[in-house]
Amino acid sequence: MTVQRDDDAMITARDVEKWFGHFQALKGISVSIRRGEVVVIVGPSGSGKSTFIRTINRLERHDKGRIVVDGIELTDDIRNIERIRSEIGMVFQTFNLFPHLTVLDNITLAPRNVRRWPRPEAEAKTAQLLERVGIPEQARKYPAQLSGGQQQRVAIARALAMEPKIMLFDEPTSALDPEMIKEVLDVMRELAGSGMTMVVITHEIGFAREVGDRVLFFDGGLLVEEAPPDAFFTQPKSERAKLFLSQIL
Amino acid sequence: MSGALPEDLERSIVGVAEEPAVQVAPTRPPLTLGEWVHRNLFSSWFNGVLTVVTGILLAYLGFRLVQFVFVTADWSVLRANLRSYMVGRFPNDEIWRVWTVAFFLVVLVGISRGMLVPPPPTRRGLLLRALMGAAALGATLALVESFVVWLLVAVASALYAAAVVGGRLAGRRLARPILVAWLASFPLIIALLSFGDVGADRWGGLLLNLIAAIAVIALSFPLGLLLALGRRSSLPAVSWFCVGIIEVIRGVPLLTLLIFGRFVLILLLPPGLTFAQLVRAIFMFTLFSSAYVAEIVRGGLQGVPEGQYEAARALGLSTTRTMVLVALPQALRNTIPPMIGHFISVFKDTSLLAALSFSDLLFTARRASQAFEFVGDQAEALLPGAFLFWIVAFSMSRWSQRVEGRLGVGQR
Repeated sequence: MTVQRDDDAMITARDVEKWFGHFQALKGISVSIRRGEVVVIVGPSGSGKSTFIRTINRLERHDKGRIVVDGIELTDDIRNIERIRSEIGMVFQTFNLFPHLTVLDNITLAPRNVRRWPRPEAEAKTAQLLERVGIPEQARKYPAQLSGGQQQRVAIARALAMEPKIMLFDEPTSALDPEMIKEVLDVMRELAGSGMTMVVITHEIGFAREVGDRVLFFDGGLLVEEAPPDAFFTQPKSERAKLFLSQIL
Repeated sequence: MSGALPEDLERSIVGVAEEPAVQVAPTRPPLTLGEWVHRNLFSSWFNGVLTVVTGILLAYLGFRLVQFVFVTADWSVLRANLRSYMVGRFPNDEIWRVWTVAFFLVVLVGISRGMLVPPPPTRRGLLLRALMGAAALGATLALVESFVVWLLVAVASALYAAAVVGGRLAGRRLARPILVAWLASFPLIIALLSFGDVGADRWGGLLLNLIAAIAVIALSFPLGLLLALGRRSSLPAVSWFCVGIIEVIRGVPLLTLLIFGRFVLILLLPPGLTFAQLVRAIFMFTLFSSAYVAEIVRGGLQGVPEGQYEAARALGLSTTRTMVLVALPQALRNTIPPMIGHFISVFKDTSLLAALSFSDLLFTARRASQAFEFVGDQAEALLPGAFLFWIVAFSMSRWSQRVEGRLGVGQR
């Protein structure tokens, strides 16, 4: 255990590397994320940002380096992995709701089967969560009957149902029509305000500047720049960040 | 057909429209008979010729069929053998067992059907059913001379009608008891048909085909599921084993497997361990069917997007739970059409038992057609066999369409 024990660190990554065949997606990422911090990751596609947050809950296995989440190191030990996964909520670009289950069953599935909550308790919690994400009346519907924005909010509620300590967002608004982006960002804003530790990949600059504590800029598998949002978006230091921002702004 | 929307679709459109301003698009008035004929049958001179030629052909075939069934045919061969067609050499004194099973199944099927098809039948549906019922009744009266059998058939029909109505009234409340009854029914039926001195060797006719088909379907479904999951296993030993079984079995004709079961399997078993012929045949048939079920399930699993597995894993669900709660329900729903198709094949393929000298329906029909006293009546002997196979297979197909409709396959 050479990784320093920093009581305030929720996620610590040291020299994390990841290959897909001969392609190196992550070339040594080191970063520490504090409890309650909201970190926004930006970068061009193929920069490794998505791969990186997927290593945090082990949807991708890192090949080198170490990752410690809430004091538990990610190893091949499947029990550790399942324990850590249940502490980390993840929201995907394409929602990935379970189409054969109602909204209610989507949300209660993991609490009932992993946490072993009795049904009434899980359903009461679900009602609260749907209230919180602003769609209390949709519990009995199937995902396909909801709009994209509503589906993504259900996905957030589903992740929150496990009472996670960390929430990962992998481009949560990229697949949404413009008029639905705000309703999802509003939920995320509220979540950040409640003190949740969040790692968010997004191109929503306004959201990043308002809610983010720190921006990580990824390019070519490297963490190129790290700065507070205002500083990063107004005066990026690296050439690559300048180029990237000139393309998306 | 007429240009009007189906009633329920129309209702659902109107039901969805909450604001009165929404208008249903005006539908074309239904075509008159003359318009319909002109548009669909005589739209060009070539289509007109086709219509006339096909019409003459169909009319001729229809005439010959009616002529054969009601005039030329001598149904005495069927009258003499009807019992064998249905139950083979099942002992006469014990026939009450078969009737008990039939009553039990009639009630079970009726209730399930009432539950699955909630809307009351249309006038056309009722008429069709009345016609089918009358035809069945007529055939029974014409072919069976026993008053007791008439009575039993009448009681069964009445029970069926009552069960359908009961199922419709009860709705989903009965779902669980009915499911349990279905699961328990097969062992019960086997026990009822075989306890005492009636062995499996006395089963025959359609009864044998049905028992074999149901046994093979009930056994090969779980086995095929396991093979499909094993094939996807990350343990090489498990996946190679499953791939090996599937590919070997699929590469061999069913009849070969059945003959293997009859003559070779016994040599591979430890001495002293023997099984009835029928058990061995069903065992080999089950292996065969499992390989196909496995491939159907594999296809269904491939249709489940990777994101579903990722979402389940991200929630902390174990591999097993991910499979059982997330992947399989979606995969199996998508495999209902090919799965039912396969099960229909299984039922039809039970006629291969005839080649192993089991007195199944095909065997019985062939033997009847070869009997000395009915020389020249081959058609009368064989056609009813084919017709019985068709009735069962067609019913299975109709049922699967209903189940698909209920589960919304292809929607959501």
